[in-house]
Amino acid sequence: MSTEAAAGTPKSEGWEPNILAFCCNWCSYAGADLAGVSRFQYPPTVKVLRVMCSSRVEPAFILKALKDGADGVLVAGCHIGDCHYIDGNKNAEVRINNTKKALEKLGFDKRLRLEWISASEGLRFSEVIRNFTEEIKKLGQNPVKKPQINADERRLDTSDISVNMRSIANVQGSEVK
Amino acid sequence: MSNVQSCYQCGKCTSICPMRRVSKTSPRSSIYNANIYGFETQDIWTCLTCGLCPQECPQQVDFLSFIREERQGKQPLAIAHLGVFTELAELSSRLNGNIAEKSGDSKIGFFPGCVDSLDLFLHDVKTNFGEITTSSVRLLDKLGMKPQVLNMKCCGHDVLWQGKKDVFNGLKEYNKKYIQESGIDTLVTSCAECYRTFSKDYDLGIKVIHTSQLWDKLGLKINQDVTYHDPCRLGRHMGEYDAPRKALTANGVTLKEMEHSKEKALCCGVSNFMNCNEQTKALRIARMNEAEATGAKTLITTCSKCLAHFNCLKNEKDAVKKYDFDVVDLSVFLARQLEAGK
Ligand code: SF4
Ligand code: SF4
Ligand code: FES
Repeated sequence: MSTEAAAGTPKSEGWEPNILAFCCNWCSYAGADLAGVSRFQYPPTVKVLRVMCSSRVEPAFILKALKDGADGVLVAGCHIGDCHYIDGNKNAEVRINNTKKALEKLGFDKRLRLEWISASEGLRFSEVIRNFTEEIKKLGQNPVKKPQINADERRLDTSDISVNMRSIANVQGSEVK
Repeated sequence: MSNVQSCYQCGKCTSICPMRRVSKTSPRSSIYNANIYGFETQDIWTCLTCGLCPQECPQQVDFLSFIREERQGKQPLAIAHLGVFTELAELSSRLNGNIAEKSGDSKIGFFPGCVDSLDLFLHDVKTNFGEITTSSVRLLDKLGMKPQVLNMKCCGHDVLWQGKKDVFNGLKEYNKKYIQESGIDTLVTSCAECYRTFSKDYDLGIKVIHTSQLWDKLGLKINQDVTYHDPCRLGRHMGEYDAPRKALTANGVTLKEMEHSKEKALCCGVSNFMNCNEQTKALRIARMNEAEATGAKTLITTCSKCLAHFNCLKNEKDAVKKYDFDVVDLSVFLARQLEAGK
């Protein structure tokens, strides 16, 4: 079912994709760092979020990002066999593939990507980002409608913010007080 | 509005509440706090919405509506599996969807529910949820019914009971339109929660049937002992206790009832994916022990969530206790017997 086509994909002028990248601490985050210090160019479309391992990324995080309007989600981890926690990335692969299947029904599967990027692959990191950005540009903006908040039905409107805070804090391993 | 004002604080509800056995949950005091002080208590979230307490209430307080209203717009205490199913439902409610797609002109529509996403996100429960759909379609075929399979969005049961009515309304609007355009006059579903939601929370104006209400006409000859768990949505919420039992006995099965059954059935512990913790696990163990005590080789249920929760306990890695009976969905059980008998 091509949901997005039905939604009449909005392609506004001057729009830049907004991509959320989960990078594992031991490889991909270091790879992103290397891309920076080596001055490899890549578009400023990506917000990098460091996680300890690619298997830390729950399907719920990905769905939440897409629901809240992210145009793409990238999950990057160590190459198979190199995971700091032995086989975390194998688990991540199963999970991300399942999430992709769930997204397929909504026509969203191309907005999620799983890549293996090692600490020495700064160039590859920049290529992945460039490539993904191009693909998202072709797909166009995320067609989710912003929810209409009805004062009666959502008395506590700050709820979403606290969830964001908490889930982000969880990702970083600290606690919200 | 629920008639919660007529509560006279007798406490009968608290004394029957299954959560009360394992935690400090009190339906009585949650009414008191909400009514007298306008307080919010955690108890509105620990309630399983199992429907046991309204049965006992001398004042016929509609406790379930009260809980649902109290939850609206508030931040849930916890949602199991990090809310992945809620996120998925919310994401799909914010998309347009494609109504024009149709699979046939049959007057009967079959809705499989969320078995696909259960398969994808609960893969370590070691249960084939998709088999519920294939089995149901197989059995419908045996009865000469050729339904069109409805490719709708989630029915919205979980988000409704989690206090997200705006999301529910979005899903409902889409699904109602889908059902209207499909031109069906009977909606068949294999899930107890979908059955409750389409019957009571949608005003569809067409017939809604749970698959268990059809299977008594299958004419199978099964020589086996089983026990049956009443899901709260099919049993206490919809009052359907007999159809699944008839579906079993009419096909030759010997039914061994558990200590608590029908109106008194114990809860699986995790309705609408709200509470999965040490306390609700204790409830699941209690229920599985009852099933074990009947000596039956199979525990049958008619709700995909109950199935998931029992199998999760049964297939636990370092389980303290091993249960040597199978937990299967009614349609799956019958379809397997049909295949075996051929
Ligand atoms: S049983 Fe009914 S009247 Fe008694 S405390 Fe509970 S809700 Fe109130
Ligand atoms: S609905 Fe069930 S869990 Fe909730 S308060 Fe009543 S008896 Fe307890
Ligand atoms: S530590 Fe990099 S994927 Fe596990």
